Amino acid sequence: MENAIELVNVSKKFRLYRDRPQTLKEAVVRWNRKEYKEFFALRNVSMKIKKGSTVGIIGKNGSGKSTLLKIINRTMYPDGGAVKVTGAVASLIELGAGFHPELSGRENIYINASIFGLTGKEIRERLPAVVDFAELAAFIDNPVRTYSSGMYARLGFAVAIHVDADILLIDEILGVGDMNFQEKCAAKIFELHRAGKTMIIVSHVMPAIGSLCDYAFWLERGELRAEGAPESVKRQYAMFMRQDAGKPAPENRAEENC
Amino acid sequence: MLERIGEILRFREMIKSFVRKELRTRYKGSFLGFLWTFLNPLAQLSVYALIFPHIMRVREDNYAMFLFVALVPWGYFAGTLTGGCGVIIANSSLVDKVYFPREILPLAFSLSGLLNLCFVFMIVLPALVFFGRPLTGNVLWLPALLFIHAVLCTGISFIVSAVNVYFRDLEQIIGLAAMALYFMTPVMYPAGLLPEKIRAVLSFNPMFGLILSYRDVLFYGKPPDWPMLVYPAAASALIFVFGFCLFNKLQRKFTEIL
Repeated sequence: MENAIELVNVSKKFRLYRDRPQTLKEAVVRWNRKEYKEFFALRNVSMKIKKGSTVGIIGKNGSGKSTLLKIINRTMYPDGGAVKVTGAVASLIELGAGFHPELSGRENIYINASIFGLTGKEIRERLPAVVDFAELAAFIDNPVRTYSSGMYARLGFAVAIHVDADILLIDEILGVGDMNFQEKCAAKIFELHRAGKTMIIVSHVMPAIGSLCDYAFWLERGELRAEGAPESVKRQYAMFMRQDAGKPAPENRAEENC
Repeated sequence: MLERIGEILRFREMIKSFVRKELRTRYKGSFLGFLWTFLNPLAQLSVYALIFPHIMRVREDNYAMFLFVALVPWGYFAGTLTGGCGVIIANSSLVDKVYFPREILPLAFSLSGLLNLCFVFMIVLPALVFFGRPLTGNVLWLPALLFIHAVLCTGISFIVSAVNVYFRDLEQIIGLAAMALYFMTPVMYPAGLLPEKIRAVLSFNPMFGLILSYRDVLFYGKPPDWPMLVYPAAASALIFVFGFCLFNKLQRKFTEIL
């Protein structure tokens, strides 16, 4: 079976500036002074993710999960190692990023879908399905600024799910909309899973990982601690977390959204 | 580089929708909306036509049009120079989260400026006739000038948008530089006014020749002066290639810095 994603010894280093020089003046004044600490958000991470599988990635806040997703969806470049991603990636992480408040829902669907690389024809074909899924038919020509936050997120989710990506990145289990809509999302995710899409679900809570996934990885401080069947990875993670609970937090923990 | 261009072309729908968004949202929310694209230059020209012959009594024959045919293209240049700085930062929520060729943001910005310029020329051309400057066949040079101009402005928006992510001061510096350049380019005075030596230095600026060519073609109805066309074309191509490569290098760290 082919791999959808292959990571070989991927590392990502961040410089933690106490106060990054933001301006020319500061850069000149502090010339040659090293006012940062380096730390590895990811260190020598290797993974193979099979096409069509649903994979869970578990780890504490700051363990490098988000950085890993950013490297997979190509918003970040690794400092070392090789990344091979086969197929288009869509993340269900930042729903509605890039919506313009003054434009209508319809125009925003168009813009948002074009960011995922769809052609005009493809977008026009899918537009009715997106509107239908978001349950926004009555409001689709109103400016997005008039939407409630639930409507906003629904629209974002509906677009992301209809772009027909081969690989879907799902960060935490979606807290989109009300109960009914969440069920609909879950059903849609199952449907995409059956359709052979590769899915990566990231979470720091365990229940999400078990039910959906057929493989799991555990990240700890940027390194891969364990991988294998979800149940066994979960057990190891749970044990570690119980031991870890007593210790003080590590000093240079990264921000969650790094 | 060719591979990169192919990738950008694959996202042409995104370029289109971003240009459209830029043009549509510029006056969104205002009562007259898109009409302002035409009303603004029309009002500006009316003010000039009133002030220069009657109040300030500039000796130059038909000074309002003399100024206007240069000021309009200058506006495109100054707009991309100053406005181009903020393009990546304004879209940081997108850059941070979704993959797409980042070149699209400055490219779409520059193209929307070009389209805007074309709309304003729809006012300039009839205005020339109205003020007794009949159009000649040399107007056909206009597309060539616009092309060179667009290459230049796109190259510049690559440079300023990428550098500004690293050094936010650039925006302030550029504001000053744009003003200085304005006086160093024969927008409001004829080039003949400059001493020979100074003129030779100032004409290193590709806008120098471009502005003179615009004026030759539109105001004087004669073909552009060859060196004043060839040099800007070569310089613009060079700036474009340099900007493209610089952008490509700098964009790798955008996500970490934003």
